[in-house]
Amino acid sequence: MDFSSLPLLSITTFLPVIGALVIMVLRPKQTKTAYGIGIAFASLTLLAAIMIWIQGIGSSLSQVEELSWIPSLGIAYRLGVDGISFPLVLLTAFLFLTSLIFSAKIKDSANIFIQLVLMLETACLGVFLSLDLFLFYVFFEITLVGMYFIIAKWGHEHRKKAALTFFIYTLIGSLFLLLAFLALYLFSDTNTFDIQQLITNPTITGLAATLTFWGLFIAFAIKTPLFPFHTWLPLAHTEAPAAGSAILAGVLLKLGTYGFIRFPLQMTPDAFREFAPYVIVIAVFTALYGAFVALAQTDIKRMVAYTSVNHMGYLIFGVAIAAVTTTTSGMIALDGAVLQMISHGVVTGVLFLLVGALQDRTGTREMNEMTGLLKTYPILSGLFMLAAFASLGLPGLAHFPAEFQIFLGGFDVYPVAVGIIIIGLPITTALYLRAIQKVFLGTLPEGFTGLKDLGSRELWAIVPLILATILIGVYPDSLLSMIHATTNFFGL
Amino acid sequence: MATDLLNISPQLIVLSTTVIVLCLEMARLPRAALWALVVGMLTATGVAVDMLGTDTTAFSTTFRVDALSLWAVIILGPATILFALLGRSELKDSAREGTIYSLMGFSALGAMILAGSGDLMFIVLGLLISTLAGMAMAAHPRNDPSSEGAMKYFIYGSVAGAIMLFGLTFWAGLAGTTLISGINNPDLSSYAVMFGFITLVIGIGYAASLFPVHFWTPDTFEGAPVSIAAYLSVVPKIGALFALAQVVRDLPVSLVDWPLILAVLAALSMTFGNVVALWQDNVIRLLAYSTIAQSGYYLLGVIGVGQSTLAIDSMVVFGVAYLLMNAGAFAITLGEGTRLDDFKGMGKRRPWQAVGMTIFLLSLVGMPPLAGFAGKFLLFGAAIESGYSWLAVVAILNSAISLAVYMRIVVPIFFQEAEDGQIRTYAPGTSFVWISTLALTIAAGIGVQWFLG
Repeated sequence: MDFSSLPLLSITTFLPVIGALVIMVLRPKQTKTAYGIGIAFASLTLLAAIMIWIQGIGSSLSQVEELSWIPSLGIAYRLGVDGISFPLVLLTAFLFLTSLIFSAKIKDSANIFIQLVLMLETACLGVFLSLDLFLFYVFFEITLVGMYFIIAKWGHEHRKKAALTFFIYTLIGSLFLLLAFLALYLFSDTNTFDIQQLITNPTITGLAATLTFWGLFIAFAIKTPLFPFHTWLPLAHTEAPAAGSAILAGVLLKLGTYGFIRFPLQMTPDAFREFAPYVIVIAVFTALYGAFVALAQTDIKRMVAYTSVNHMGYLIFGVAIAAVTTTTSGMIALDGAVLQMISHGVVTGVLFLLVGALQDRTGTREMNEMTGLLKTYPILSGLFMLAAFASLGLPGLAHFPAEFQIFLGGFDVYPVAVGIIIIGLPITTALYLRAIQKVFLGTLPEGFTGLKDLGSRELWAIVPLILATILIGVYPDSLLSMIHATTNFFGL
Repeated sequence: MATDLLNISPQLIVLSTTVIVLCLEMARLPRAALWALVVGMLTATGVAVDMLGTDTTAFSTTFRVDALSLWAVIILGPATILFALLGRSELKDSAREGTIYSLMGFSALGAMILAGSGDLMFIVLGLLISTLAGMAMAAHPRNDPSSEGAMKYFIYGSVAGAIMLFGLTFWAGLAGTTLISGINNPDLSSYAVMFGFITLVIGIGYAASLFPVHFWTPDTFEGAPVSIAAYLSVVPKIGALFALAQVVRDLPVSLVDWPLILAVLAALSMTFGNVVALWQDNVIRLLAYSTIAQSGYYLLGVIGVGQSTLAIDSMVVFGVAYLLMNAGAFAITLGEGTRLDDFKGMGKRRPWQAVGMTIFLLSLVGMPPLAGFAGKFLLFGAAIESGYSWLAVVAILNSAISLAVYMRIVVPIFFQEAEDGQIRTYAPGTSFVWISTLALTIAAGIGVQWFLG
């Protein structure tokens, strides 16, 4: 089909914020109406994203939309997609829709909550679609403001501290990003912020390239996060409302990992190759550290949060492998890393929603205070176990094809590092099995009267994500063919 | 002579406006005085916009008509109007209300003269006109805190001005001329030139509230009426920093490593201002320390003069942005009250103003797509292009600290319950100022192109 007359990328990006404006103008009194509007616009966004897919995702950056903005500085409004960014656009549209459905129970200042979530969705889509450093930065920063207010207003007991830590910490990261972007601009031949030009013709070299690489590294390492820049993550993930955590882990962390691929890997490739061994050491350490610390948690939400750190370690390991080697193994690792972004978004997103549902019923996140819930909540327990198996990398579920490719690609270049990083797998297996054992198995304490099992609102949010988990696990090629076309085009 | 007069017509219009305003005040017609000021400043601004692109000098190169001096008029003309409207809201029907308008006009004239200085005497003159008028305004309420604040401003000003004058005599003696361009001679004695430069920085730094000559700032701001504090935080500062840019344009780096001196001052100002602001419970004092920090950022643009293509653009854009976000933040403070506690529960009470204040503060932090971001973006670019990447790193770390500072106002607005007590109202002038600056803070951030040369 041909929609080429429509600026589909801009429509996708700005549909959510139009929804927010509609809510601002109509000021619906009923929270149901407000959620109706929000969910309708989130669905339209997903639809528009699918139309981009039908239009055809090229191997290079395509469907470019460009408008003049600040010509004196070589800044323009430029959007475009390729096989790396489109899966993330799809993930964003999908995860925001399900998170919004899941949060329909939030009644406190619901209008503002929905508006913030929709604004955040526009900002995230904008980050993935931007083809201009300046525009990218604008969207990148707006995500911080949106997330700050979501955590600070609708979070749990330590929400204000968590929100401020998140805001300041990630702001430091993005300010390093700003400096790196300015360096890329000043050292480019034509003084431009155009991402396409900077990728096809990376002119920055020498010390400037090294400093720029480390600026980008710090920025994205904080966002991803990698050890030792991860300390904001457990606090923010634990204190945010369930949908906030799902979005935070599912989409916002991907801003960092996507950045690693789009900027250091494509714009300062030589510097990345030179320093890749350091990055690999950090990634391996991050993966193991995340796994071990997750093992030590008694708060189930914190545990899931730390498994994110573990998965991000694998992911950056894959990217670093791609930076080192130009052979097919680098490409395989990069394919895995991109797929890992999607798998992690879907799986961890659904895990946080399930933990939220669990907390709504038991009133606690402490695993020691929960036991024997399988009989009372068979559906919730079943879905949680499935998502947990996906997260620990069981074949047939979403994480397996991604991590398998990362390890396969890495084995060719750094077999020892793979041997070490793979220790993370049994540890995550152990911690999930222990959690399942504690929370769902055993006997229910006497006198426990909880709510009913998952309701239709929760099922509408969770089941699509579970289906996606299975789909990616069984048929990863649905996304991999698109991803591979682009990584192949990189010619690494 | 005629072309000279034509070239300085914006400044002449400001001068005659101010005299008319003074006469109207003598006739006890404060309302008419305000309107005369508004019309006169708009005319001067319009003329300056029309002259943009001119690059010449007037009166035997003693006054420069260039991007800096024209933009100074375009920024400070509307600034004077905004602060006069705030002054009207705050000081309406007080004794000698109209004197405020004429003093604002005079002080702005001083700042505009500073911005176009081609001669050392103009720097001295501009600094005196600009700050003496400011002292009189700061003392307007005639109570203890305001008298104390004005006294501090006065004594600091006298000492700093005297030191500067003393140092500049060395420059005039060495170069044999008071023209700034006279210093552009690599054969001069490096030590004497350095001494002159340091005293100049003391004089200018006083007006711009740069560390370590900033001490008057918090006390004067706290004692003065809110509208006057707002005025002092913007108008003399922009004039003084533009004058500094006019001087360093002609100062050879081989004689004095002025970028390094300014870089150290910038780092100290930013860090001191932001760190001390963390402890303030009074919003005016908090904003006073924040202006010290913002002066530090502003120096990044001065450092780029002659070395970076972005320098002048960054000073102009940050000037515009700084005026808008500071005027807006002070306007809402005038409406809500000066204690942090006064902001509690504002999100429920006045949601629009609450969002407005948040946007002004985020703009001060440098969040895109707001005006403050555009300004800082160019400032950082100028610093990196001039080889001062370490200063850019200091500046970004300071931006992170400043987030913690400004969040201290945002948290009570949205996450704390209101205290019982009288709720203040917004005068029409205050509402006009915050709404217009809010719209422009967003518009200037997106439409930066308009300000670039």
